[in-house]
Amino acid sequence: MSALHLLWQGAAVVVGGGILGLVYKGFDRKLAARMQSRIGPPLRQPFLDVGKLLVKESVVPKDAVGWLFRAMPFLAVVASFTVLLYLPWGPFPAILSGHGDAILVLYLLAVPALAMALGGFASGSPLATVGAQREIVMLMSYEFPLAVAVVGVVWRLATLGGGPAFSLAAIAAVPLWTQVGPLGVIGLAILAACLLIVTPAELSKIPFDIPEAETEIAGGLMVEYSGTYLALFYLADAAKTIAMAALVVTLFAPYGIAGLLGLSGAGAQAVDLAFHLVKIFAVMFTAVTTVRVAMARLKVDQVARGFWLQITAVAVAGLVLLVLDRMVMG
Amino acid sequence: MILKTLFSQLFTRPATNRFPAKYMPKSVLGFLGKVQAGKATLVPPVPVPPKFRGKIAYDREKCIGCQLCIRVCPAKVIEFLPEEKKIRMHVARCTFCAQCVDACPVDALAASPDFLLSDTDRHSTALIVE
Amino acid sequence: MPDQVYEIPIGPIHPALKEPIRFTFKVEGERIRGVDIRPGFAHRGIEYMGMKRNLIQVLYLSERICGICSISHPITLTLAVERAAGIEVPPRAQYLRVIFAELERVHSHLLWAGVAAHELGFDTLLHLTWKVREKVLDLLEELSGNRIDYAIPIYGGVRRDITPEQVPQVEAMIRYYRGLLDELLDAFLRDPSVEARTRGVGVLAPEEADSLCAVGPTARASGLAKDVRQDRPYLVYGDLGVKAITPREWGLEPRGDVYDKAVVRLLEVGQSLDLIERCLVEMPEGEITSFPKIPALLAYLKKADGEGLGWHEAPRGEVIHYIRLEAGVEEPVVWKVKAPTYSNLMSWVPMFVDQEIADIPIIAASIDPCMCCMDRVHMVDASSEAMVQKEELLRLSRAKTERICRGGGPA
Repeated sequence: MSALHLLWQGAAVVVGGGILGLVYKGFDRKLAARMQSRIGPPLRQPFLDVGKLLVKESVVPKDAVGWLFRAMPFLAVVASFTVLLYLPWGPFPAILSGHGDAILVLYLLAVPALAMALGGFASGSPLATVGAQREIVMLMSYEFPLAVAVVGVVWRLATLGGGPAFSLAAIAAVPLWTQVGPLGVIGLAILAACLLIVTPAELSKIPFDIPEAETEIAGGLMVEYSGTYLALFYLADAAKTIAMAALVVTLFAPYGIAGLLGLSGAGAQAVDLAFHLVKIFAVMFTAVTTVRVAMARLKVDQVARGFWLQITAVAVAGLVLLVLDRMVMG
Repeated sequence: MILKTLFSQLFTRPATNRFPAKYMPKSVLGFLGKVQAGKATLVPPVPVPPKFRGKIAYDREKCIGCQLCIRVCPAKVIEFLPEEKKIRMHVARCTFCAQCVDACPVDALAASPDFLLSDTDRHSTALIVE
Repeated sequence: MPDQVYEIPIGPIHPALKEPIRFTFKVEGERIRGVDIRPGFAHRGIEYMGMKRNLIQVLYLSERICGICSISHPITLTLAVERAAGIEVPPRAQYLRVIFAELERVHSHLLWAGVAAHELGFDTLLHLTWKVREKVLDLLEELSGNRIDYAIPIYGGVRRDITPEQVPQVEAMIRYYRGLLDELLDAFLRDPSVEARTRGVGVLAPEEADSLCAVGPTARASGLAKDVRQDRPYLVYGDLGVKAITPREWGLEPRGDVYDKAVVRLLEVGQSLDLIERCLVEMPEGEITSFPKIPALLAYLKKADGEGLGWHEAPRGEVIHYIRLEAGVEEPVVWKVKAPTYSNLMSWVPMFVDQEIADIPIIAASIDPCMCCMDRVHMVDASSEAMVQKEELLRLSRAKTERICRGGGPA
């Protein structure tokens, strides 16, 4: 594949991912509003928000560490969009397929959170500092179950000989569910559930919006951000939402429907891509929209305890089941 | 369970009344102009009950200039016009307690159902009753 | 880092606060070690304004002490003035006042429930309770003509009757809330995430509630059966036999935390519905005011001489108005308002200690604070010479009381 071709495809994914992220954000807001018996904003509201933020003045507080404060939004945006390049899009393989794997994606997903935390610390406001501390605690709490879930799946796949270990392309190509035994299916289901629970935490959405916690710390690590920088964080969040949901889909439901419909060629690709997007939407609706309207915000110590003890225990149990399955099935 | 409520609300009409339009128009005045020109439709506000206390209506003919309303008005809405022995009301200050309506000995004052009183100018003709 | 104590300012303007007040928290990590409270940002000099107006104007001014207690303050003021001037209130008017007061309690407690849910980050519950709250506001609009600031009580009675045509609407509202109350109790009190955020949070021990003179739901959640309607009945509350509601009614031993405060408030909604229903049945026919003509009332009040105290159990707790009238003067000579939040303010201090930053909004909201009700003074010059400590304040207060007892002005 030529470098130019790669560049062109990459640009398409980044732009498409950004637009898709904002569209999905619009759906998320609209559906959340309807669940709360409100009208909600029009679907294009996220675009209007970003547009408005881009023309607003970007204030850098006097007490802030200027360069760090300015750099972090860019880091967050770059990291979240890079994840999109590593994820397969339905029938299309990932743009950077072969240049990195599931582990890299895990690290990249942690980068926006770190960037936000650093930006929060750099903004020199006590509220942002509290938010940044919380973000770090959150990061430490959910990373382990997240890693267990992802690693469990890719390891089991590697044992089946489905291509290079930890390669997301291989996972997408070989759906696991049919290839493991009954123990494995239970284990996979548990890991899928864990990943769905981690998703809102990864995205800092209620009940895990602790680092921002509007009513407590007034937006926390975002409190000093405005204008372009805030727009960048907004975009990063939109892209990360898509990336996280796409990761769940890739790991646990990489199925297409074109085969079932008896399509082939470009039609099949289009249908599969559309189906992929629908699946991403379904994951977002389940793990983000529904959860965030149905729960109260938890406290950081409750979240840390929950992730370290209960969720980790459950995830490890899922992993153990996969290991047992490997022993049984060979 | 809250989920049941959530999903049933997802498929029912939102509780919000869409007055004056579903989404806030870019310019309210422009929108109202369009409505008057017949180019847009106004979603009506929630109807008010029969004994609603809105903008005070004044019957100048009946008024005897006793100034009782001025004595009871808590917001000093009412100005006395000594030459004509009539009153002038500055609705921008009104608190809609309708105490003047109760106090008026000749029923020259009444609470109307009119409540769309927002204005950019507190001295505009819509906000002066005389 | 863990040993480092730093200060977090909350307020006077902050998303967790619906009204301005300033907290300065001493925080160690996420734990609160101490709190300093500075009220006074919503001080408007309302008592002084009242002393420049005639009593009818004061009535509507009192209504605007607080938009949510906009029936409690006028009722208390009318009770004070009626005692000072010796005005009888017809029985029907007393029942009507009780009905309006209880309607206000329903809407105020639902409002609180929504705010509390919002402080917890549970916006769905906020929208749900506020959607449900519309019904009682619609009814209040139907009965009084206004959705808020009802302008109903007047010295000697009330200004509007509930007509026979309106009774079915009141009954429909009662049925509506009876049907919904279980759902609301379920959504608030049996929701695991709400329980995780409110149980054991902001605990006010009964001894502390007692010694800090907490009132209203704040005191009742700690297990003190304290309710002005029960302890010093006024209007027709004595006949209705109100019992103070504590979490025991919900089958729980009171712990005084935020959860208990929610229990008390939500159960009081049911209690208010019962009271309204009984009032509708027991309300006798007759006059609704002893002064149908306003000039007669004004003339009578101008002649009145004396002092009076009015008390009322507002949704947030006990509210007291003191008034002193002098013959020949239309304006009150002294008007003193003690709002429930004033009594509850200090209970914040033990409630905040050793809690987390995340608990600040819900603990602050748990006493249902109303700054504009409470703020009677604002320290403009906060330099050390101008600060008055407790002993000095007590001495000044006693001196002022003596001066007033001797018949001098409050200045």
